[in-house]
Amino acid sequence: MHIEQKTNKAKKAEKKQRRSLAIIKADCNVSQSDSPTLYLAILNVGLSNGLTEEALLAAAAATGGQVSQVLMLPSKSYCFLMCTTLADSQLVYDGMHNRATIGQKGAVAYLSYLLELPQQREENGWQKSLPDGLVLLQNFVSEAEEATLLQAVAAGAASIADSLKHRQVKHFGYEFLYGSNNVNPLQPLEQGIPDACDFLWQRLELPTFEPPDQLTVNEYEPGQGIPPHVDTHSAFKDPILSLSLQSDVVMDFRRGAQLVHVLLPRRSLLVMSGESRYDWTHGIRPKHIDVLATPSGSLTTQVRSKRTSLTFRRLRRGPCDCQFPTLCDTQQTTTPQEVCEKLATHASHLEQQNVHEVYDKIANHFSDTRHTPWPQVAEFLNSFQPQSVLLDVGCGNGKYLGCNPQLLSIGCDRSLGLLGVGNARGQNVFRCDCLQLPVRSSSIDGCISIAVIHHLASSERRLTALRELTRVLRPGGRALVYVWAKDQRKNDKKSTYLKQNTAVNKERTTEQAQRQKLAQQLEGMDQQLPVSLPVHTNRTEFQQQDVYVPWKTKDEQRTTFLRYYHVFEEQELEKLVQQMEDVVIRKSYYDQGNHCVIFEKSKN
Amino acid sequence: MKLSTYNFLTSMAIKGVKVGYPLKLTINKKDVIESEFNPVFIERLLPKLDWAAVYSAAQVAELADDIPAAQPDNMAEDEQLLQRLHHLLFEIDVLEGQLECPETGRVFPITDGIPNMLLNEDEV
Repeated sequence: MHIEQKTNKAKKAEKKQRRSLAIIKADCNVSQSDSPTLYLAILNVGLSNGLTEEALLAAAAATGGQVSQVLMLPSKSYCFLMCTTLADSQLVYDGMHNRATIGQKGAVAYLSYLLELPQQREENGWQKSLPDGLVLLQNFVSEAEEATLLQAVAAGAASIADSLKHRQVKHFGYEFLYGSNNVNPLQPLEQGIPDACDFLWQRLELPTFEPPDQLTVNEYEPGQGIPPHVDTHSAFKDPILSLSLQSDVVMDFRRGAQLVHVLLPRRSLLVMSGESRYDWTHGIRPKHIDVLATPSGSLTTQVRSKRTSLTFRRLRRGPCDCQFPTLCDTQQTTTPQEVCEKLATHASHLEQQNVHEVYDKIANHFSDTRHTPWPQVAEFLNSFQPQSVLLDVGCGNGKYLGCNPQLLSIGCDRSLGLLGVGNARGQNVFRCDCLQLPVRSSSIDGCISIAVIHHLASSERRLTALRELTRVLRPGGRALVYVWAKDQRKNDKKSTYLKQNTAVNKERTTEQAQRQKLAQQLEGMDQQLPVSLPVHTNRTEFQQQDVYVPWKTKDEQRTTFLRYYHVFEEQELEKLVQQMEDVVIRKSYYDQGNHCVIFEKSKN
Repeated sequence: MKLSTYNFLTSMAIKGVKVGYPLKLTINKKDVIESEFNPVFIERLLPKLDWAAVYSAAQVAELADDIPAAQPDNMAEDEQLLQRLHHLLFEIDVLEGQLECPETGRVFPITDGIPNMLLNEDEV
């Protein structure tokens, strides 16, 4: 009986192993080796079922075998190890295969030797030189000085203390405002940087060094971290100093696909300047255990304990003039005058290529994402007398045309693809440009134009579109216009658009890290753009008014199309409407990241 | 394209065109889709329509015998006429055909039921 059970267990293991090997062959194109190699596939356990890098390394270490590389793939129930020698590899195999219950609910690991490791998606962040401009000064302060510094910042009770989602923070000199990721230079705090810190600057021995005037103290409990970010360029000068106290931690530096892990030992000072300050993000993963490289190049683990970091910065008090535009808020936020002129000159070509053609290509997928009428638009449509005539300029798939069945609703759009969807649903549609509506003057009771005129590339064209709405309205008729707002927050509340960015909202990453990733993806893209503009990162705050917004198709090609948008500043739409003599604004409001105006054509 | 939509379309955006209305309609292929008749709806909608274009649509749709050339008074009491107007304006769906500018002869095709009123940049 006992023997039979054992045989069953071995059979089960063999079957599971075979199945897993087929999966990794298909996923990663790696094959099994019959004889021992340095490479091991760990099957049946992985990130998808709760295995952590730390738990895996601990289990491997328990066998006595040395591991030099770990490769865990997201959402996979397997992972890979590379061992230092063949003997290590055999120790790990014998010690773990069908024995190590490291998966969820005690799932056991099955091991196989491989001919090679799969091609890595992310480079090993350990065998890397530091980013340019990054200097780590070990043992910068003594234990006695550490104690003095901790006491000094703890005593600063008058400073601003705050409990963020993932850590405790305290500010000296100026408060760091997390909503805007900036400081207000006009509002210094009563308590400046404690004098006890002054000896640090002398010890630095940097020529032309200006002492910092802002200090942020972060207290991290084990398991806490900080999402990858760059310190706002326009807020602070170069360099940024970070002193690690009480314990070690691993900080991750990223630029595009590049990743460098840096162990920040207790009592070390990190100096970030140049490229490392401006073009790399830095962050600390929220974990209880860090994975570290040993001097021999193998990997090991270290349990975290409480750590306090002192970040010293100097306010910039002006725009940033760095050479690294990707993450530079100064260089990303203003549309230069010459770009506006270029936009006006190339407007129709730009709209053709980066609005009309894109909508035709994405029509079906776009239509699938546009089905629920916005409540305040529906309310406007329901405010008309029965038998009123409604014209929806830029009707897309016609989702508003059937909204109030008591109206005669007619829609028009540039995109034939989208019109086809509405027409198939029995709606009244025709094709035209919103700059020349082929509609009788003064014949329409109500117009809506939802998310349309922000696709026009000059202020003159946006006004022309509004004039056309007014022309077709009968005297006393009303129009509702929605445009995308540059500001995606109102009263510090995020719009639906920003709320969809769950990775940022759960502090797994930052908008900056997402921008960096996009910039890297776009490098490989060969798009002929009529006007060179920044590409907006979806579900983040807009940095500039005139941008390309990417649309990624859901098919296998995952093609990225760039749509042109002019996002509106507050009051910009109202000012545009007020340029027309024959209308009165009835209402203007902000609705989920859009600026909205209802205006009425005068009766005389 | 329903003939109620036709009633609103013009070619006035073309450079040099003064009125551009009514457009000359040609029907090559049409469909008839029955829909619920609501006499009040038709009656109240009529003031918003241009009768000359209603009548010209009736002629093209070969329903001119049903619709008078001039708009009669007391329409509300003539339910039969309202019914005919309902049929003309809301039940006939032009699938293939064209609209032509009365002043320049510029043709706007109707394909798969959708009139293409888009103008080239040099026409406006």
